[in-house]
Formats: sequence, C-alpha cells, structure tokens
Amino acid sequence: MLKSNCDFSKRIFLRQNIVNLIYCIADRRTFRKLYISRTHFSLFLNEARGNPHLSKMIEVKDLVKYYKKVCALNKISFEVDEKVPFVIIGPSGCGKSTLMKILSGVLEYDSGEVYINGKNMKGVPPHKRDISLMFESYAIFPHMKVFDNIAFGLRMMRKDKDYINRKVAETLELVGMSGFENRSPLELSGGQRQRVALARSLVIEPPVLLLDEPISHVDYQLQRKLMEDFKILHKKTGATFVLTTHVQEHALTLADAMVVMNTGVIEQIGTPEEIYRTPKTVFAARFVGDVNLIPGEVASKQGNNYIVKTEIGEFTCTTPNSREAISPGVKLAYGIRPEFIDVDSKGRTCDNQLKGKFARAYYFGNYVECVFDVKGKVEVKSAVPTEQAINLKLGEEYSLGWNSGNVVLLESPSVIEGLNIEEVIYGK
Amino acid sequence: MVKHARYLLLLPGLITFIFFLVAPLLIIVMMSLYTPVWPGYTTDLTLQNYIRYITARQFPTLLSNTFFTSLLASAICLMIGFPFAYCYSFKIKSEKARNYITMFLLAPFLIDWTIRSVAWISILGDQGFMNSILLSMGVIGEPIKVLFTPTALFIIWVQTNLLFMIFPMNLALGRMNPEVIDAAKVLKAPPYRVFYEIIFKLALPGIICGFIFVFVGTISDYITPSLWAGGMQTIGLSVSTYATQFLWPQASAGGIILLIVSMAVLYILLKVVDIKKLVYE
Repeated sequence: MLKSNCDFSKRIFLRQNIVNLIYCIADRRTFRKLYISRTHFSLFLNEARGNPHLSKMIEVKDLVKYYKKVCALNKISFEVDEKVPFVIIGPSGCGKSTLMKILSGVLEYDSGEVYINGKNMKGVPPHKRDISLMFESYAIFPHMKVFDNIAFGLRMMRKDKDYINRKVAETLELVGMSGFENRSPLELSGGQRQRVALARSLVIEPPVLLLDEPISHVDYQLQRKLMEDFKILHKKTGATFVLTTHVQEHALTLADAMVVMNTGVIEQIGTPEEIYRTPKTVFAARFVGDVNLIPGEVASKQGNNYIVKTEIGEFTCTTPNSREAISPGVKLAYGIRPEFIDVDSKGRTCDNQLKGKFARAYYFGNYVECVFDVKGKVEVKSAVPTEQAINLKLGEEYSLGWNSGNVVLLESPSVIEGLNIEEVIYGK
Repeated sequence: MVKHARYLLLLPGLITFIFFLVAPLLIIVMMSLYTPVWPGYTTDLTLQNYIRYITARQFPTLLSNTFFTSLLASAICLMIGFPFAYCYSFKIKSEKARNYITMFLLAPFLIDWTIRSVAWISILGDQGFMNSILLSMGVIGEPIKVLFTPTALFIIWVQTNLLFMIFPMNLALGRMNPEVIDAAKVLKAPPYRVFYEIIFKLALPGIICGFIFVFVGTISDYITPSLWAGGMQTIGLSVSTYATQFLWPQASAGGIILLIVSMAVLYILLKVVDIKKLVYE
C-alpha cells in the first residue's frame, strides 16, 4: 500500500513538467475549461504544487480568532476527510459557530490557515467557496416565499429557469416539504423553517455542507427523524457534512469522525467509539457520555495493569496496549461509565468490588440511573435496567462491581493547562 | 343591545375623527364649490374655482414648485439617509455610540422652528458662517449666494427632515437578522446582489415609509420655500394668500387640489410596498 503510494507520487513528480508546460502555454480561458472539465487534471495540479492532502476536504491549521480581547478559538487544528459526516461537539459558547462562520467565509480570522478542497481560503469571499452553511438561526429570508428562498442560491449561480424549477421541487421533496412552495416563511413552524434552511443549503449542491446546530431546536421525535434524514441525505448527495451540536446523542449517532471542543480548544479528535471508549481528558469523558470519576494516584504498575489508590480503596485497571504508560505516583482520575457498573453482582465475576448505599434514583424509561453513596465520600452512578432496578430498595447497601478492562485513566482534566484535576471533578 | 355594547368604545375616537377631520374637510369641499362674489361668496354650486385655478398661467409652475421640489428633497434625504441608517444598524456595534448619535439627530428638534429658521441666515447668508469659512480658506473669491435660492431650500429641508427618513429605515434594518446577509453570501450571492436582494428589499418598507414622511412634511411646508428660497410660489402659499384675503372658495379649491395630488402620490407609493411588512415577525 505504502509502496504504491510512493510510486504514484513519483509518477506525479514526472508529470509536473508537463503540467507546468500546459500551465504556461494555455491562456487563462482554456486553462479554466480544462480545470473545470477534468477533475483529475486539477488533482494533479494540486499535487504538482506540493499539496500532499488530496483526500482532505477541509484542513484547519492553528486557527486563532479573537473577539476584541476574548479568545474564541485558540490554535485549532483538524482535518476533515472527503465525503465523511463530521461532527463538532462542545458546550454552547465553545466557539463552534465561530468556527463554522470562519469556514464558510462570513467571518474573518486572526491567524492560522484554512484549506478547503486543497485551496487556501485566505481572502476568498464566501460566494466563491465550495461550501454552504446552514445557520443556527436558520436565517431564512423573510421577504421571500419558500420557493424563492430555496431558489435564491441557484439564481445567484445563474442557472436557467427549468433547472431551477426542477431542482427546487426535487429538494423540497427530499426534505419532505412539497406543497409549501408558495407559503411565506413567517407562516411556518420551527421544524419546517429548519427544513427550508436545509433545502436552501442543499440545493446548490455544495461539496461541503456546514450545518450549525441543525437539529437542536426541534422536538425529540423530529430530531430522531432528522437524524435518519441526514444519514440518507448524506448517502444521496455524497457531500462532506460538517455538523455542530451540543447533544452527545446526535454526535455519536451521526458522526464518522468527531471533534470535542472546549472553550476555544480541541479536547480530542477521533471516531465516536474511540472518544467514548478511550477519552483523553476528563472534559472529553464527561461531555461524550456519562462517567463516574474518582480522583486517585497510581500505586503500582505491571505491564498494562495498574493499581490506583483512591480515597475509597484500591482499584485495578487494564489499559489498552496503544495507551502510553503512566508512571506510579501520577495523580489522575479513575473513570468508569455507569453502564459498566454491575449492581448486586452476586455470582458474577468482577475484579473490582465496592459497597455502596442506594441514595437516589433517576428514571429514564428503559433504564434507571441509581446513585450509590460510598463511605459518605464518593457518589457512584450506575445505569441499571428498569426490571432489575424495581427490586432495589433506597437506603440499603449493595455491592457494586466492574471489570478493570472497562476503566479509563484520565491524567489531564482538559487540554487547557493549569487546571487541578480534583477541582475539575468535584467543582470548586 | 349588550352584545353591541363594545362598539361604544369606538365612540370617543369616532367623534373626534368626525368632528375634527371629516367635518372640516366636508366644509372645505363645499366651500370650494361655492361661487365667489366680492366681498364673500354665494351658495350657488359651481366648478369655476377649480377650472380657474387649473387653467391659470402660473399653475404648471406652482405644481412643479410644489411636487418636484418635495420629491427631490425626499430623494436627497433617501440618498443621505440610507447609507446612514445602514451604518447605524450594522456597523456601529456599541450601544453608547448609538445613543449619542440618536441624541445628535434629535437635537435640532429641541429648538423652536422660528429660531431654527432664523439661524439659517447666519449660516447660509452672504456674511454667514459657511461663506466666511470658505472665504477665509480661499476656496471661493466672493461669497456664493445660497440663501434665497432653491439650494437653500433643499439644505433646510434635508436638515429638518432627515430624521423622519432615517428612523423608519432604522426600524426596518434593525429588525433584520444580520445572519440573513451572511446566508445570502454563503448562497453564492456577490456583494451587489446581497445589497439589492436582501438589504435593499428588506429595507424597502422603511424606505417608502420614510419617503412618505419626508414628502408629506415638505409638501405641506409653504413657509420655507417662500422665505428662504427667494419667494418660491407653491400651491400651499397660494392657498394661504387667498385665505388671508378672505377668498374662501378659491383657497378651498387650491387646498383640495393639493390634497388630491398628494393623495395620488401616496397611493402610488403604497401600491409599491406593503407598509405592514415594516414589522416582520
């Protein structure tokens, strides 16, 4: 695989001369025609110009953005592969929308680099980018009918009338809004407006579609439907989708790759499973999924097996091979997801055991989140299936067990430096 | 009876409306149809007041003095006011600066009309503020005559009416979600189309509204043209002249003609744009 790649780039290097020759000879118009009509030509050209990132649709390097003196983005770097549904998750105010606006070109940035489709976007106005953005506020044109709203982009691209009519009808069908062509957007409900905004961004068939909080503001039922719709749409259009959200469920369901953001910085990049199973920081662990965190210290280490000393006892942990070693004495957080904690684990083998008093319960329908009080010092949450939880009695002691393989060790509270791990876990 | 009691609430407003607007207007219409005799008038109905007024030699001049100056003043206000309202709504972010600008705009209205008018002599006059500055700077060799020319009229009208142009436009632009502009940019609209398709079209109700305010304000003002524009003759002035000579039928006919023509202009403007759209959402 690697070898063939090398061969490929060598061949391209040889072609560079030919490309340069064409570049010199062809006048601008013919060059443009070639550039547009043959995609592979432009790919070679990019390669020849020394851009090694062929399949990267979006590339962001050390992006910095200040609002006056407030730092909104602090050296953000990430890459989005072509045709991948990519999700940026983070709490509100972490800079997601700012990032989206910078990518779409409606907002200037202070330093760093943004590449879209291999081209540097410095100084490129929004209407000349291969990108479309659906705004969090939907930003529907209130003075236009639904049809005109959706046709706007195509009209700006000077498409002919028949094409526009056909395309708008198709897109309305796609988002399930056929028959609403002549309605004023002011008469529509929130969910309908959201679909109009989506259709408006989709209709211009952008290679990259940015969606800023596209499903957060509608009811749960519609959220589920929209998530399915996005998956279908993504398959149909083949565009690169970049979504932002603050709801972990959306991120885990929709993303092939995701980024966890925390006030202006990136906490972790990876697939949803990677981030859920092996979070790197306390913030990432907490923001994607729920987690029990107990502050502690590495007592001893044997290969991948650690013993961590905490204030409620010593526990074991087996880390994956890929994880870098932690030396004894390091302060860290011992984390277990609630669903890995077995309550009343008689007869089941768990290599960590603990006794806790059943303090509170939160009902979630298919499961009950039970909170156990351990020695009056730490609270441990467990997701118990409803039929089992019925038998548990408040105030009684139960044994809690979990396997060392399901534990995550978190050395740093966040990418942001200078935070105390205990302060982050317990709050100040 | 009780069922219709709610209509009683209309009564105070309706009485005021009929007593102070409809009734006087009817009196003026009736008066314009009476036959003038010297001194006074008889109650024989006739159209000769209108016919004489319209066929008079000065009528075309009067008409153009009245309507074209007003329309032109409104247009100048629009030219100056729109960029101002645009900056005010989108470019000035700090609330404090906005408050200062609003106060600055309102300041002239804290001064009485008479004083404000007289002040123009010391500003635009031959030895006025403007001329002395231009002279001392050596821009001009001799004082330019501004006062008692139509130029003075436009300067004064623009100054006094700009506010009425800017406020409705601000209202329209201020209601706009600024992200709508960004959305248009993202949807491949080049800057000039963003301006026309989004900003201008969303501001249009405000523009028309402001235009009407300025137009109505200037067309009813006959004193400024007659005082500071070298005795410019307008329909309003002719009505006033007739009225001071107790020629009621002629004055009424002039007034009705002024009313009809200005209503026609307003009707056309309102046909273009639905004022209700000034408030979206």
